[in-house]
Amino acid sequence: MTDPRVTGRARYAEDLEAEGMLHARIVRSPYPHARVTGLDASQVPEGCVVLLPEDVRDLGRYGVQIRDQSVLAGRPRHVGDPVAAVAAGSARAAEEAAASLFVDYEELPAVPDVLQAVQPGAPLVHEGHELASTGAAYFGLRPQQGTNVCHRFRIRDGDVAGGFEQAEAVVDETFRVAGAHHAAMEPHACLARWEQGRLEVQTGTQTPFNLREELAGIFGLEPERVRVVCRPMGGSFGAKTFLRTEAIAAALARKAGRPVKLVLPRDEEWQTLNRHPAVVRVKLGARADGTFTAAQIECYADTGAYADSGPGVAQKMGFAAPGPYRIPNVAVDAYCVYTNLPPNGAFRGYGQMQSTWARERAVDLLADRLGLDPLELRLKNLLREGDRYCTGEPMHDVHYAECLERAAEAIGWRDDRRGKGLSVILKGMQTPSRAAIAVEAGDDGTYVLRCATAEMGQGAIHAITLLAAELLGVEPDRVRFPAPDTDVVPFDTRTTSSRSTYMMGRALEAAVRDLQANGGRRGFGEVANAGGLDPDTGQGVASTHWHQAAAGAEVRVDEETGKLEVVRLHTAVYAGRVVNRPGAELQNEGSMIMGLGSALFEEVVFRDGQVVNPNLSDYAIPSFADLPERMTHELLEGESGEIHGLGETALPPVPPAIGNAVASLGLELFDLPMTPERVTEAIERRVGVKA
Amino acid sequence: MALKAEHGEAATVVAGGTFVGIMVNQRLMAPAAFLSLRDVPGLAYVRANEELRLGAMTTHRTVELSPEVCEGWPALASAFAVVASPRVRNQATVGGVLADADHASDPPSMLLALGARAVARSVRGEREIPIEDLILDFYSTSLEHDELLVEVRVPGGPHGAVYRKFRSRSHEDRPAVGVAACRRQGELRVVVGAVAGRPQWFPALCDPSRDPAEVGRAYADAVEPISDVSGSASYRRRVIAVEVRRALVDLA
Repeated sequence: MTDPRVTGRARYAEDLEAEGMLHARIVRSPYPHARVTGLDASQVPEGCVVLLPEDVRDLGRYGVQIRDQSVLAGRPRHVGDPVAAVAAGSARAAEEAAASLFVDYEELPAVPDVLQAVQPGAPLVHEGHELASTGAAYFGLRPQQGTNVCHRFRIRDGDVAGGFEQAEAVVDETFRVAGAHHAAMEPHACLARWEQGRLEVQTGTQTPFNLREELAGIFGLEPERVRVVCRPMGGSFGAKTFLRTEAIAAALARKAGRPVKLVLPRDEEWQTLNRHPAVVRVKLGARADGTFTAAQIECYADTGAYADSGPGVAQKMGFAAPGPYRIPNVAVDAYCVYTNLPPNGAFRGYGQMQSTWARERAVDLLADRLGLDPLELRLKNLLREGDRYCTGEPMHDVHYAECLERAAEAIGWRDDRRGKGLSVILKGMQTPSRAAIAVEAGDDGTYVLRCATAEMGQGAIHAITLLAAELLGVEPDRVRFPAPDTDVVPFDTRTTSSRSTYMMGRALEAAVRDLQANGGRRGFGEVANAGGLDPDTGQGVASTHWHQAAAGAEVRVDEETGKLEVVRLHTAVYAGRVVNRPGAELQNEGSMIMGLGSALFEEVVFRDGQVVNPNLSDYAIPSFADLPERMTHELLEGESGEIHGLGETALPPVPPAIGNAVASLGLELFDLPMTPERVTEAIERRVGVKA
Repeated sequence: MALKAEHGEAATVVAGGTFVGIMVNQRLMAPAAFLSLRDVPGLAYVRANEELRLGAMTTHRTVELSPEVCEGWPALASAFAVVASPRVRNQATVGGVLADADHASDPPSMLLALGARAVARSVRGEREIPIEDLILDFYSTSLEHDELLVEVRVPGGPHGAVYRKFRSRSHEDRPAVGVAACRRQGELRVVVGAVAGRPQWFPALCDPSRDPAEVGRAYADAVEPISDVSGSASYRRRVIAVEVRRALVDLA
């Protein structure tokens, strides 16, 4: 069977057609913070449908963790915030109609920077923070009323002040990570229609059930009155999570009484969702022999104008920040902060790349201060089987040292350290989490899987089909896996955080057992992972299983221009058990290439709240010609046979491995991306070259 | 020619479409009409005799791979070969890259250093325009509204030339700084591209007897570089000094 994505037969949301369908276009704010004082639709051509604030007045607010968004903004809070929308017979007519709608604004003071936004007296992006009650608001949210902080997460473990008193060397540095863009090949696209008071939305989404819940809340419907059908996605990387464009399309369709399709033009992608820019301060102390005594970490995640999943991103940025080390005294403060930038949300790595960059650079700075080999310093402090993490949870199936040793060996660390760098990471999975799947037998020896796992190019459908075929004892071509449809499939938390193969794989085992025990026609399986953290102390279960990886890099630096060349890059990822080797390898390679982009040059650049580079000419992503001379990776398997997710694990270790390689040449970098210009600044700062 | 004379500025000329396509997609351009050269015969050719003649519709890829160009004008072939990706080079044309006058393209600086001239044709006739007089500023040329750029002529004869592209980001990115240098019968031309509204050439600084590093520093001082996502003005100055020196060393 040839993959329809290869033959061009795959039908993406952008390709959908429906009888009488209209095409939509969004009218967006040109100001980072303003109030709409007037809308003039008199010049909009006849026959176009215009969605104005009064058309959405009856609609509920939304937001999966903080309920801070309306379908149209009367007070736009970022450049690109939707203030109106139009629908017309063709995409071009819709564009012309949108251009003929005139909006008057009164500008308001804006706050474009995360550290400015947390200052007392900073302009408030939102006056109050209303908690959401959706399934994605699953953890204890701690909005700080009267400030721009919509969630604060803390870890308090041990006596941090006492720990620093025992330290012989302390590093205290502040690191910055730029915003990045997902740049999926396929833009956001959806088709919405109403039939007999029931809303049907076809869209590319990783989160069909969260989307259904949000749409039901907005339109005041029972969730069963909303149907979400997932189309295959031409890439997502986190961009197609939760509600993006679907509510505007649905509201236009309601007003028009016709189906409405909304496809975002490329530049509007940058106004829709990016990755959180972050500032991370790391203070890390150790005894003279290298034993870590204390860590104190502050993370500021810039979530832009709307929280989206930012509180979750900030929390994971925080709880992964101490890293896979035994540190007896830990304090973490992570803040999810509003600014007047476009919203930031889920992005491959989910906050953990940002804090990993800071911590792993700090570990190397500490090794330098102590005069120790960075590999030996890490090995001395790494978590081992049965150790307790700073959240209080015991760690099992632990392979950090093995990953790190493999990375070190691959780059010849012990032969010569010059120009080389290492990093090691842990990364959490969505916890608590639930997954369910139904297996139905046909009369002809085939089986149909009904589950909400969405395909975005990551190969989940293929991996789960292979698992099902193995469990059912049939060839994979006897197993069908139709696109998720909330009318048909059982509930699933969402296809995120590299959890699908792990969670759905276990649900599938239960479903096949159920099928075999009950006559072989239909089986249902469900698994739930309990856990979660106290948001004020960070104690509990952060992740029911941890993603583990290490990276090694070797670089050359053109000291006159600051241009970096990655000669060698290797990652070692713990997989537990590999289900689909080619797919798993592609996930590793894709993660590494995205990591290279974030390390070397990807950056969403803002000026006065406006994205300066909202196109793929001015926003550079890696090409194959940017790959290191040698780029390799390996998947480590363990005796336990437990499946470990790996959809994004190889991304976070890449930037710090490169940063540490550059640091071995005496060039200390604190900010991502490591542009040649920043490297030249490090060259100017260098006081002496390390031995 | 008649169509161009009739519609003038109102019709946007499309050759390969790599520039116009981006401008339209980014809504920076919304032309009422396009004048496509795609099916106009006789505009795509490489003719190498005493001088090289390239038809305006010749693609970058054709120039890059042409045995005649690689043999007689290897630096020119290399300047076309480093543009973006093969997908783009299969579309982008010789005429287009000059007529759109995009400051961040590679070939114009090299063509200028080689002493090339563009041929502009209209219903009124034909004229030759040296590249230094063709590109005036960002997206601005000296072509009249009824003129079409139909050919580029590059002098032949013994010469040494080099093109260095410095990218600050992805390999497929446009240059942050591009340096073209050509030495012909004792005359030296150094041209720096992608740093200002037009290719930067300072004849007074191009003394072939001067130390390469000195020429590099002199160019870095003479240019008023732009600041953008590829690098700040001060960073570009630093790179200009280095890359001009390296180009002259390569040339020696």
